[in-house]
Formats: sequence, structure tokens, C-alpha cells
Amino acid sequence: MRTPNLPKMEMFIDPHIHVTSRTTDDYEAMRKAGIVAIIEPAFWLGQPRTEAASFKDYFSSLVGWERFRAKQFGIVHYCTIGLNSKEANNEPLAEQVMELLPLYAGKQGVVAIGEIGYDDQTAAEDKFYRLQLDLAKEMDLPVMIHTPHRDKKKGTTKSMDVSEEHGLAPNMVIVDHNNEETVKEVLDRGYWAAFTIYPHTKMGSERMVEIVKQYGPERIIVDSAADWGISDPLAVPKTAALMRKMGIPEEHIRMTCYQNALTAYSQSGQMDELDWLNAEPIDQTKKMSGNSVLRGGQVPRVEGPSDRVEN
Amino acid sequence: MSTPNKVNPISSIILSALTDQVEEKSIVWLAQKREKILLSGKEMDFFIAFSQASRFFKNNSFKLSDDQFQETQSFCDGLRMDLWTQLQAARVYLLLQYLAPNPDSWRETLQKLFETGDMLEIEALYSALPVMPFQDEMVGRAREGLRTNITSVFDAVALNNPYPSKYFDESAWNQMVVKAIFMQRPLFKIQNAESRSNKELANIIIDFAHERWAAGRNVILEVWRFVGPFINSENFKDIERVTKSNDELERNAALLACSMSDFPEAKKLLRSYPEIESKINSGVLNWDWIGEQALALA
Repeated sequence: MRTPNLPKMEMFIDPHIHVTSRTTDDYEAMRKAGIVAIIEPAFWLGQPRTEAASFKDYFSSLVGWERFRAKQFGIVHYCTIGLNSKEANNEPLAEQVMELLPLYAGKQGVVAIGEIGYDDQTAAEDKFYRLQLDLAKEMDLPVMIHTPHRDKKKGTTKSMDVSEEHGLAPNMVIVDHNNEETVKEVLDRGYWAAFTIYPHTKMGSERMVEIVKQYGPERIIVDSAADWGISDPLAVPKTAALMRKMGIPEEHIRMTCYQNALTAYSQSGQMDELDWLNAEPIDQTKKMSGNSVLRGGQVPRVEGPSDRVEN
Repeated sequence: MSTPNKVNPISSIILSALTDQVEEKSIVWLAQKREKILLSGKEMDFFIAFSQASRFFKNNSFKLSDDQFQETQSFCDGLRMDLWTQLQAARVYLLLQYLAPNPDSWRETLQKLFETGDMLEIEALYSALPVMPFQDEMVGRAREGLRTNITSVFDAVALNNPYPSKYFDESAWNQMVVKAIFMQRPLFKIQNAESRSNKELANIIIDFAHERWAAGRNVILEVWRFVGPFINSENFKDIERVTKSNDELERNAALLACSMSDFPEAKKLLRSYPEIESKINSGVLNWDWIGEQALALA
């Protein structure tokens, strides 16, 4: 059964969301709200892992099961691969995880090394951050930087300093979790500035609107970072709606809630608008000749009912 | 099917077919990786090339000439490389360049690949089962593949793949068919289905049909293929019920099942539909046709 051509609808990308922790209700609501593509950065799971094999299974789920789960709801799932800063502090384990990373970093749909950076800004965090910057450079992948929640301003500056020390071009680096205090320097130095919209802490949608008003849409990216904590998987479409209400121009909404993320992460060569604009469901046993034909009105792809799994 | 003394022609077929349909730089890359894997013999070189093939090959359909297709068939009957993608073919090519000294090391290497693979990589690995070395070592892995809930991965084991019919014991085979039914997969794409039909499977399917009917749900009509040769006095009433369906295709499927049976009542029932019987006898009405029709309606 094919879904008939839908009217042209607004499309969003949530370039930072930990959907592994979310329910199918969330997926359904996200798709309904116009989210067509998401990026799931490798992160910690709320509790530190104690075995390298746990990381292996986690990374595998990011390129396997979660991709499939998202697809069932018509959402294209990409991910970033990396060792997060919190777990970098378990050095013997971190060494083993570093050996796993090259196995995943080159995979299809892996759009960056991330989220990496500093948490408590320890020596161990610094060591593994640097090693992963080198990996990103070697793989020619963008980097997604998680800036620390404590001592944020200094940590953000240091993240960029170290990245430059390792020879990464600012346009290949997305600095996430910005706020009013960090945004200016990040933009001035030529980086992508991502903002995580949290219901209670960090950034709220209202503050986001003010930032777009002040700085314009260039290199600014809105995301939800929704995970296992209190967070909102609809933060991107909700912020877009608030921007509209507050008189932000349509083009600025499109850039901050869709296009900039696409431009930044498609530098990996692993993310393409056609992945979701292509309306035909993919059947690997079917000949693919007609597969790249765009249907009228840029309708996102919807999978057939047989892709929905009963357990 | 491959035997130890038969030379595996698959990697040269893949290379020559790919050369005709992809950009030259992709073939150059493939040659470089082959060289690297052969020289170093390192697992990691092979793993990274296997993943990064997606940067040089697309999911376009992999075209084989008639001669090439025939060659694959004489090596392994039922191998459907013509349904692969170019990326899948390139990955299988790389897989065939990695030489493991013995079955244990092959199994270990493949285990790592499977455990760290993304969806498309895992699909490529399962579709390569019938052409890989030490393939009899992979029965457990293939059974593991059936436990997935990712449709495309399940399909890579169960559909258009001659491996299960050759290597699965009856319980694994039945598990596969039953799960394919449960997942509503196109059963006509299961290779060599007739040769592996068995009474136990027919009984499982009858029980399944009763369960579905009790819940007011339908059963996919291709299931009757697996019951046909085992129609008996107990299950005949179920077949009869389906021949009275409002759905023409379903009626055709039940009568086609009757044509596979020696049970006198089933033969008699089929004779009472002379028009359909003649279509069956002439080969117009067959399981592939039924399956294609059902798939088009899905």
C-alpha cells in the first residue's frame, strides 16, 4: 500500500536526538510534526558502561536496529560515532573503545565523529578528545562537539582551540549546546553553532528566538538532544512554530531547523536530501531503476506496512 | 552448489560485471583494496574496506548478462545475484578476497563482521552465504539471522537465497518459513521450497491458520503451498473452506494446493473447477504467479 502524494509539508531535521531512549509514540509524533531526518550522536546511557562489548552493541544498534525502527515511521536515521567525554574517564575501557571506533566511523550513514569534547575537562577527557579529532581528520568526517555543562564558556573556547591545534577546519565542526554566552565566539571563529532546546534547563525556545533575531540564521542549528531525561523530541518543530509566531522570516526558520544541519553534516558524504525526498519504499529484492525519481511536491518516503514488525 | 573441488567463479564474475556498470574510479578502489587485503592479510584492512565500499558503490541494481547469470547457476543453483545491488556485489567481492586459513578463523572473522555490521552490510553477508568458503560453518549464524526483526535482514537469509534449503535441518527450515509467514513475506521467493516441504510444517501452518481465523484475521494465501502435499482427512475441511473464499486469488491458491495432493477428496474438489484445473495443468496458474499477484496487492 502506497501513501498517496501528501500535500507539501514543512520538513525539519533534528540533528541531535538520542532516539534509542524514545518510544514509538515519539517517533509517530515526530513524523507527524514534519521531522524527516534525525541524527543520533553516540553518547552515554545515563549510567557508565563497564565493558567494551557494551559499546560495540550500542554502536551496532545505532547503525542497525535504530535505523530500522526510525524507517518504520518514515524518518531517516543517521548517527555519529564516538567516545563521549564522561566515559573517557575510564581510561582502560576508553582505550578499548578507541579500537572499536574505526570499525564504525566509515560506515554508511555515519555523518560525524561525536559527540566528543569535555565534561569535567580532565586530562583523560583531553587525551581521548584529541585522539578522536585525529580520527575525524583521517576519515574526513565532521565533528560534533559536546560542550560541558559546567564551566561552559571556558570549555567551549578550549574545545575550539584544541580542534584548531589538530588542524580541523571550523566549517567541519559543529559546536553543540551553545547559549547566549558562547554563541558569539563560536560564530565569529567560523564554526557551526548548535543549540539544544530543553524544556527546563539550558536553552528554551523563547531564548532561541531571541538568538536568531540577534545573530540571523547563518550557521545556527536547532536540536532537541532528547534522551532518557526530561526532554522534548518535538523541540525543533515547536521552536520553529514559535519563531514563526514571533515574526522570524520563513527562510530563517528553514535554515536553522533544516538546511544548516543538512549542509553541515552532508560534508560527510553520508547524508543526502534524496534519502527522504525519494518517495518509493525501498525493497532490496526489487529492481531499483526507478528509484531516484522524485514525486511531485517533494513527498517524504513512507515505508510499506510489511515493514512494521509485530513482536 | 559449491564443493571443495569446484573453483569459485563468483569473484571474477562480480568484477567483470561491475566493471561494465560502475565508474572506473570505483573499480580502481576495489583493486587497491584487494591488493591491500591480500598483502597484509589483516582483518582490519578487510573490515574497513568492507564498510567503506558504500563510498564507491551505490544501491543501484547489479546487472548480470545472461551468460554470467548462467555461470552463477551452474556454480550454485538458485543463486540470485541478479537481485543484488552493486554495493552488495562489491562487498561480496571483498569478502571473497579475504583468505582465512581454516574454518575456525573464518567463523571468527565473520562473527566480528556480523556483530559490527550495519543493516546493508549484514544483508550482504547473509546473501553471500551460498558463495563463501567454509559455508557449512555458518548454519548457526544463518539461524541467528532469522531471529532479527529487521525485515530486510530476515529477507537476506530467507528469500532468494539457496543457502537455507541446502543447509538447514527441518526445524530450522520450518522456523524460517513460519516466521516468513508471520512477517507476511513473499513466500514464493523462498528458494527450493517444494523440496523441503514436510508434514510437521503443514501441521504448524494449519494450527496457525486456525489461530488467525479465530481472531478474525486472514492468513496470507501463499501458505497453502506448504500444506498441499499433506492434505489429509483432518485438514481437508480447511482447504475446502479456503476454496469458498470471496477472494478469487485465495480460491486459486487453495485449488493449486489441491493439485499438489494425492488425497482423493482434494482431487475431486479440483475437478469440480475445470477452468482453474486446466490453467493449473497448462502452468499458467502457479505459485510464482500467485505470489506475484499477492505482492502486487499488498
